Amino acid sequence: MKDLDVEGVTLRAGTEADAVCGVPPDRVARPENTEALGRLLATARDAGATVTPRGGGTALDWGSPPRSLDLMVDTSALSWIDHNAGDLVVEVGAGTPLAELRRTLAEAGQRLSHDPVRVGGTVGGALATGVNGPRRLLAGTLRDLVIGMTLVRADGVVARSGGRVVKNVAGYDLAKLHTGGYGTLGVIASAAFRLHPLPSAVRVVSVPLRSRERTERSLAALRATAVVPAAVELDHDRLCVVLEGTAEGLVPRVEETVRALGGDDAEVTEALPEGWGVLPTEGTLARILVPPAEVPSLVEELDALAGDVRWYGSIPAGTLYLSFAPGTPVDVVEKLSAAVRRAPDRSAVLLRAEPHLHEAGVDPWGEVPGLSLMRAVKDSFDPDHRLSPGRFAGGI
Amino acid sequence: MATSVRPTSIPAALTALVPRLHEICGEDGVLTDLSRRRVYESDGLTYHRATPGVVALPTTTEQVAAVISLCAEHGVPYVPRGAGTGLSAGALPHAEGVLLVTSRMRRIVEIDLENECAVVEPGVANLDITRAAAPYGYYYAPDPSSQQVCSVGGNVAENSGGAHCLKYGFTSGHVRGLEIVTPSGEVVELGGKATGAHGYDLIGAFIGSEGTLGVATRVTVSLTRSPQKTVTLLSAFSSMDAGGETVGAIIAAGVLPSAIEMMDALAIEAAEAAVACDYPAGAAAVLVVELDGPAHEVDAQVERVTGLCAAGGSFETRTASGAEERALIWKGRKSAFAAVGRISPAYIVQDGVVPRTALGEVLGRIAALSAETGIRVANVFHAGDGNLHPLVLFDDAEPGAGKLAEEVSGAILDLCVEHGGSITGEHGVGVDKACKMPRMYSDDDLATFDLFRRAFDPDGIANPDKLLPTPRLCGERPGVRTGVHPLVESGRAEQF
Amino acid sequence: MTEPPTEPERLFGDLLNDCVHCGFCLPTCPTNVLWGQEMDSPRGRIHLMSQMHEEDVLTETAVGHFDNCLGCLACVSSCPSGVAYDALLEHTRHRVESEHERPRGERALRAAVFSLFPYRNRLRAMRGPLRTYQASGVSSLVRRTGLLDRLSPTLATMERIAPPLSTPPPPLPELVPAVGARRARVGMLVGCVQGAFFPEVNTATARVLALEGCDVVIPRAQGCCGALSGHAGRLLEAVEFAKRFVEVFEAGQVERIVVNSAGCGSSMRHFERTMAEAGESDAWVERARKVSAKVVDLTEFLVDLGPRAERHPLPLRVAYHDACHLSHGQGVTRQPRELLTQIPGLEVSDLPNKEICCGSAGVYNLFKPEAAAELGDRKGRDVAATGAEVLVSGNPGCSLQIASAMERADTPVTVTHTARVLDASLRGLTPEQLLGRR
Repeated sequence: MKDLDVEGVTLRAGTEADAVCGVPPDRVARPENTEALGRLLATARDAGATVTPRGGGTALDWGSPPRSLDLMVDTSALSWIDHNAGDLVVEVGAGTPLAELRRTLAEAGQRLSHDPVRVGGTVGGALATGVNGPRRLLAGTLRDLVIGMTLVRADGVVARSGGRVVKNVAGYDLAKLHTGGYGTLGVIASAAFRLHPLPSAVRVVSVPLRSRERTERSLAALRATAVVPAAVELDHDRLCVVLEGTAEGLVPRVEETVRALGGDDAEVTEALPEGWGVLPTEGTLARILVPPAEVPSLVEELDALAGDVRWYGSIPAGTLYLSFAPGTPVDVVEKLSAAVRRAPDRSAVLLRAEPHLHEAGVDPWGEVPGLSLMRAVKDSFDPDHRLSPGRFAGGI
Repeated sequence: MATSVRPTSIPAALTALVPRLHEICGEDGVLTDLSRRRVYESDGLTYHRATPGVVALPTTTEQVAAVISLCAEHGVPYVPRGAGTGLSAGALPHAEGVLLVTSRMRRIVEIDLENECAVVEPGVANLDITRAAAPYGYYYAPDPSSQQVCSVGGNVAENSGGAHCLKYGFTSGHVRGLEIVTPSGEVVELGGKATGAHGYDLIGAFIGSEGTLGVATRVTVSLTRSPQKTVTLLSAFSSMDAGGETVGAIIAAGVLPSAIEMMDALAIEAAEAAVACDYPAGAAAVLVVELDGPAHEVDAQVERVTGLCAAGGSFETRTASGAEERALIWKGRKSAFAAVGRISPAYIVQDGVVPRTALGEVLGRIAALSAETGIRVANVFHAGDGNLHPLVLFDDAEPGAGKLAEEVSGAILDLCVEHGGSITGEHGVGVDKACKMPRMYSDDDLATFDLFRRAFDPDGIANPDKLLPTPRLCGERPGVRTGVHPLVESGRAEQF
Repeated sequence: MTEPPTEPERLFGDLLNDCVHCGFCLPTCPTNVLWGQEMDSPRGRIHLMSQMHEEDVLTETAVGHFDNCLGCLACVSSCPSGVAYDALLEHTRHRVESEHERPRGERALRAAVFSLFPYRNRLRAMRGPLRTYQASGVSSLVRRTGLLDRLSPTLATMERIAPPLSTPPPPLPELVPAVGARRARVGMLVGCVQGAFFPEVNTATARVLALEGCDVVIPRAQGCCGALSGHAGRLLEAVEFAKRFVEVFEAGQVERIVVNSAGCGSSMRHFERTMAEAGESDAWVERARKVSAKVVDLTEFLVDLGPRAERHPLPLRVAYHDACHLSHGQGVTRQPRELLTQIPGLEVSDLPNKEICCGSAGVYNLFKPEAAAELGDRKGRDVAATGAEVLVSGNPGCSLQIASAMERADTPVTVTHTARVLDASLRGLTPEQLLGRR
């Protein structure tokens, strides 16, 4: 392989600790800025090297293992924050830790309205995996919040889409395309987001999960209110409703929510619980999409098939996370996946499959609708299939 | 440069297709007669015209797919069209191509309350979704000004917003599922009743693609609970600066109104002339601020915003919470565009975006530009998200006035880009602004857009010559305008 | 064009330019609702008019699309730019009638319709199952053109919903004096269809006006107002009717001319435009303007006058249908609702899609029976959706159209006129008496 020595890039040998789903990279490169990242990828193209980017390394065990991994691009040096508080807009380097961004924005009384699902991740990683936490009902998810993106193509060309204004329909929204793309179409160098003011108060109303009937009743009652929740979350064994606003305004909203959830055993707290929205870091983890109204019955159906699972996720969004106990055997995971996928409007992917599932040849992605178009997009952006080959759906 | 193409008979390349089109769409589903085809020569931007080679009016997804397959098979270009209300000539027909009109696909397939969504065909009017959902306490949030007529398919193509997108976002935030027909004629289902989808966010990338990636034939949209309370404020200022500063203050204070609209003196004059909206006398600027949500929260916000307006120098603020009173305030704002016709024989509506903090600065520069050129500019716009709609007024009977107005209009876009904004906030690029894309994006950026387009449409038959600059459209070398601006050169302006 | 444009032509060009092609007229256009194609929308028809105007040609295709227009003027209500589509359409139809050679069958049908409808006596002769065939003078023409077949269902409906012929109300005198202190002296239009088929509506109108303190002048010689002819582009015919009408009402020396038929009122408000379009002298235009300025819809007049007579309770659930030529043509929507809701016990609801035409549109249902029937069916479903017992409307054509559509759908409804509901309340009648039930 040709030399990957490029100006502005620190290079080192890869180790087991860098492994992506068990595949260690040959080398790890840390570009100091977007231009250096561009030069690096251009050189990699000339060398025919396969490339996988990493941010905080919190999702290296997500997705499918790459078929080949010559070069890991470590984005940690692409860490900078350009916050325009007056506009409620921020532009950040992909390697910026989400925690650091949160602190900076909070100092100005603002936030990126996204609950991270992993601890220690970066902005780039959150975008590339495109998985969203509970509070998504008011401002949407990351793909709704990202207003511009600079990315480096497989051939090293630096390209930008969108901009730094909240309203803009000039050109294709490639920022959305790359959100959830696992770095298979290009490497995200930076992104601009629309921000929101921090609410002055938060309330969490929660009830223990009981029967399907009761959950369905609670949800229907909640839909009939005008409390405008920021999240309606299935949090393992509890149903949590998050309300944001002013302390005064929250009083009647909390009351109404308590009534909708059925009253007596409701618990109201003034802060989010510890580890709010963070998904388990061990064991196989599935993301399930289902028409929201079917959530309670699906949960009941799958619980009956396997007792040792935990549920998380946003009910009104119809997005659930199913966490299997570490070491859950292949047949149990497959049985549940098959049960989800049986109905045409439900789908499931394994965000994280444990190594024994990969070894058994389980395809974590399953059938993804629109795959032919996704392949065409991949072929257009990365004709040599060098960006994280095999890591994405359909072997992309 | 205006487009105007009008051949008299059906192009030879299409005559062979006509019998096949008849088989697909039925006898009354294909228009070949010249006078009928000519009726489709433009969308809402009449400045660009071209008589379509042939017009197809399919009624089902299968028909759309068959028409597009036929086009693909013969290498014939096609242009999708919804209600024809677009303002960027995105539905400008192709003289040698098929105009594919979705106006007969207008069934509301389903209102699904349990899943809080609706499934509709692309020809359904935006407001019809809200009409269908309203009895159950829901509405469809994106509300472009043309919402009673513009189609959902068109909204998907343009990623339409509206006055209330400040809080509720654009079409892309409200679409859960799409059935599309690709430029090869393949029918693809994306998403469904859950929000989000696995794999690449093709829904997100398709929305706003202006018909260049395919045609949406069925759309699943989210329905939003109608707010418990809505209050509209009308606040009058004695200068545009003060109004602009107040917008910034409201945003910075952490209040998120559903809409903040602003009008200047000229726009107020026009609105008064048209609908006698009775805005406060002597106002050089008015803000229309709408707040919605749970009643208690809204009350607190109203108090806050009223205070900010007063602090910002407002000399009168009116508050309306009843539907009729609110409509009265909105009447002036909503009539402003059409009303400008009453104070000027002709006008150009521009659509550009600036960062909200640059509003005051850019408005000042527009005023200076207007003073220097003698071309009046009325401002009516979505101030909350920095989306300017300057109305450049001129008398088309006066020689050269149109050209000068066009230059002023173009210079305003340059101002937007210069301040880190966008050449279009909601009208789209279409034909009208395709040649202006290089002002905002580099050659590499545009080439990357083209890579994406080709993934869907390698043969370039889907709405060609739209969205991206092409040599045919913009001359041999599209590029950023360099050198001295003609207005500067002619001494009519100092610098933009 | 070789000759310089005439004044109406120049004006026509100016009016066409007002359209900015925004498309706001599309959703309420009945033919757009039916067919979803641009040529059958106001925006498309204006484009076709521009083609006709600029290139001075009138194609068969364009005429077909102009004919398809119901002239309901919903587009006028929805236009933000104030395009005068009514004037555009009237000019266009006049041009079609004077320049376009229609096929023979179509010509004969039109001739038959216009030899029948504007004449109250000939219309009256059509009433009753036996008289239909005996109708003198027009019968052979009516039979030959197939008009009778088209009329039959409508006539049948009329017979069902109109009071039996055996008890026609006494003919109205030429002056009905005010009851109590006089507040105004008004003229009253009798109308052709209203006069022939719904004389009781005229009786009710005169009585309500009198009870509210008006001397009501009802000239026998008034004839047709010319609306049907004018809307169909038969300009000269319309002008002749209009002139006679102007003369008769000038002589009547009335403050206002009260109209209870929307189609007539809409047309009577711009007699001067009709005169100008036909190139009549300035003197005629001026006389027409003065008479037109007096024209007022019954409901509008009564609201302006203010209620004086006592309203007695009328416990009934009704739906109010906006006749196009009242709502779109004259902008009268608030007043009839206001009058109805003033009646104690009367519950008034609106129809869904109330802006959309019912398909009656003067004689449209005779020329385009299929489109008219489809629109009638839609309207019928909307009426049924309200669950009201009675449908109230301000136009006789609408009442017939909707009643027959609802009979077809097996969801029959009772139709009546706003004037009759008011009359019943003022006289303290029961719902049963109003509706002729036992």
